[in-house]
Amino acid sequence: MATADSGLKPLQNAMKMAKTAIQLDGENKHKEAYCEYLRTINYISHALLEEAASQIPAADSPVEQKSSSPTKTGHRRVLSDGGGELSPFLPPEVFQRLQTVASQDTSKKELTPIEEASRLNQKLKATYEARLARLTPGQAYQKTSLTLSLQRQMMENLIIAKARQDALQRKMEERRLRLQEEANRRFAASGAMTAEEQEQRVLYANVLEYEQDHDWPKQWKANMKKNPDITLVSDLVSYLLSRSDHPVVKLLRKHQYRIYNRLYPIVSKGLPQSPNMPLRPSRSIHNLLRPETQRKPISSFSTDSSLSPSHSHELNTNCDDEEAEEPQTQPTVDRENSFEDLEQFLTQLDWAPPHSGTDETGSDSEPTGDPSTQDESHVQELENKALKEHLKAIVKDIHIAIEQLLSLCLLSFECLNTASYKDLCLASIEEAFFPPLWSAIVTLFRKVHREREQAFETGMKLYRDASPRDVGVPSKLFPPDPIALQGSYPYESAVQELKLLVQDCCPQRKLECIVRTLRLICACAEEYRCLHEADSSPKTAAIGADDLLPILSFVALRCQCPQLVSECAALGEFIHEGYLIGEEGYCLTSMQSALAYVESLQTAGTHLPAHKLV
Amino acid sequence: MAAAAAAASGVHSGKTYSFKVVLLGEGCVGKTSLVLRYCENKFNDKHITTLQASFLTKKLNITGKRVNLAIWDTAGQERFHALGPIYYRDSNGAILVYDVTDEDSFQKVKNWVKELRKMLGNEICLCIVGNKIDLDKDRHVSVEEAESYAESVGARHYHTSAKLNKGIEELFLDLCKRMMETAQAEERIKGNGSSQSASSRRGVQIVDDEPQATPAGGCCSSG
Repeated sequence: MATADSGLKPLQNAMKMAKTAIQLDGENKHKEAYCEYLRTINYISHALLEEAASQIPAADSPVEQKSSSPTKTGHRRVLSDGGGELSPFLPPEVFQRLQTVASQDTSKKELTPIEEASRLNQKLKATYEARLARLTPGQAYQKTSLTLSLQRQMMENLIIAKARQDALQRKMEERRLRLQEEANRRFAASGAMTAEEQEQRVLYANVLEYEQDHDWPKQWKANMKKNPDITLVSDLVSYLLSRSDHPVVKLLRKHQYRIYNRLYPIVSKGLPQSPNMPLRPSRSIHNLLRPETQRKPISSFSTDSSLSPSHSHELNTNCDDEEAEEPQTQPTVDRENSFEDLEQFLTQLDWAPPHSGTDETGSDSEPTGDPSTQDESHVQELENKALKEHLKAIVKDIHIAIEQLLSLCLLSFECLNTASYKDLCLASIEEAFFPPLWSAIVTLFRKVHREREQAFETGMKLYRDASPRDVGVPSKLFPPDPIALQGSYPYESAVQELKLLVQDCCPQRKLECIVRTLRLICACAEEYRCLHEADSSPKTAAIGADDLLPILSFVALRCQCPQLVSECAALGEFIHEGYLIGEEGYCLTSMQSALAYVESLQTAGTHLPAHKLV
Repeated sequence: MAAAAAAASGVHSGKTYSFKVVLLGEGCVGKTSLVLRYCENKFNDKHITTLQASFLTKKLNITGKRVNLAIWDTAGQERFHALGPIYYRDSNGAILVYDVTDEDSFQKVKNWVKELRKMLGNEICLCIVGNKIDLDKDRHVSVEEAESYAESVGARHYHTSAKLNKGIEELFLDLCKRMMETAQAEERIKGNGSSQSASSRRGVQIVDDEPQATPAGGCCSSG
């Protein structure tokens, strides 16, 4: 459709030229007509060449083309001359393109009438050339006549195609209006319309339109009616999410892009200063780049940070590259949205006048403070405040986006609108929604919770070699003889499980990982107790929270991953309400409690309160 | 079959209440034994969840209404109290356990009552439970003192013995009924239309779903 629009002008010119040629032909001015036809063809091929030249490089080799204009798109250097090192965050436009590329393979576009006609013309031309080759040099007259008839046919084809295309467009427009009316009728109940309702109407009309063009929704609906089954539901939703041209998927991509665009200016600005802890690289985004390199299990990711792509980025904070990096982030926000966001972000930073700090010190009677450091901490404080606000806004945005996706999904397939199907639907949507965004989301959380992560790290270092007893685990719940473990340590399986948490990119899966960790703890505790009392009755074999939390704290210490603090904070925001009071909610709460305990170790000093350790 | 009978008698309303109950008490007061005792089932040994005694669920049927109970155990140790509020947020009920032979544990209960009332107001149903009444000869908290204190803070008082399995069933049944009353009152105030979304935030989830087979009569169905 877009090509037809942009090609309208050259097409009109070509038609005019052809008309002249036909006229000349009709007046039996063969020679002039012939020249005019040739000019027309020449013009058409020139116009086509121009159009092709303007489209191909943009789609195929963005790096080469854009690297010639470094001022405007300097950030692309990350891709072009990174020497194999990838920045953890792709610029929004690359993010968007990858999103589209990743999902485009599923849908094949139909040809427009004009495209069809040009194909036909190519065939005609091929036949013509074949015939021409068979003519002997003496048959010049036949040659001319063949040429002329070819040109006439080609022209006719184009004219017919143009007429068909116009008619089709008119029909599509009529249909769109009709469907929009239908959508309006459906939502007619409410009097005044909010912007959201308006948007939903348009989206619903798009769904209706899609369903006129595609049969599969009807078939699935019929199947669901015949055989309502929970497995069919998840099949349907995953099928729906694989149709890149369906309005639900288009909306999904739109929201993902919008949220990434909001996150990018903040998260690409320098990574959390947790020196020993690399940010888990965005498996999500880089997977889009290299879909064939799937998750490699990382056994110990606390020490081998040199392998992490983000490592170089963290080092940047104390090497010269930083200056080279800074301007990179600035030009990336050339998009309207991100620019606005950045602007808003900056105004939040600047919001308080600089002299307000001195006012405070005056009233607080703290004249000894060095003004420069006070200003610094004041700026820091304001920045933290702005970051927190930003985090809150983005979390809210994500909730709204998911809600909107879910409601469009349920509008498209009413059969999904039952309590249990809805949950499944929501889970599938989240599984599609979060992975490309998670690393950016968690980076924002890490920025906001930087101090907590640092406290965790201090506690972790203080208690590096702590035994379970040191954090209050009763002796009956860990093996009496460490040698019996053969190079391992108590609750190692739970620690290994918890280390996997940062690798998942979907909140629900992370939550499941925490649940598995706690279950493993209970299984280990059971096992260790049996080592102590061979004939213990199963009645006393259950551990309660009094035992669970010390063990969980031990496991968190051994996990050596301060990022857990931010991950759990994020999970707290995205956990479904339905899970809040269930096992998942309990496990997350226990985890957060254990993490808070580890954070408190640095202030608790060298020794733990030894009372009530039972 | 059971569902048909229930539907025919008109008792079944198709609603399920989900309640969260937190279990508070110092270490050694026997809260783990208490909750284990309650969730033990004569007919079904497989009652303990994979999280053992720290998190337990129980499905009940009280006067024709289905109730899902999620019981959250909390750590008694002081050093884990920093995040107390995230444990008991959205709770519908709290069971505060002390040991009748331990005056100190009763003092701890008083502290928790204060904090719960401060954080959650009067919407939470409080149960103060004196456990280990089998050791009555060593009692250090008098019945009168405990009961009058409970009354003064709008809580109910119970006496239990996890060892002898005494008073536990009554405690939970009574708590469930009170939580249902609170939830119903809340529903009435908020009106039926908006109750679902309005109350979900506080954990009272009233899910209208298709009626399904429930063991008729009994409040000890397994879950």
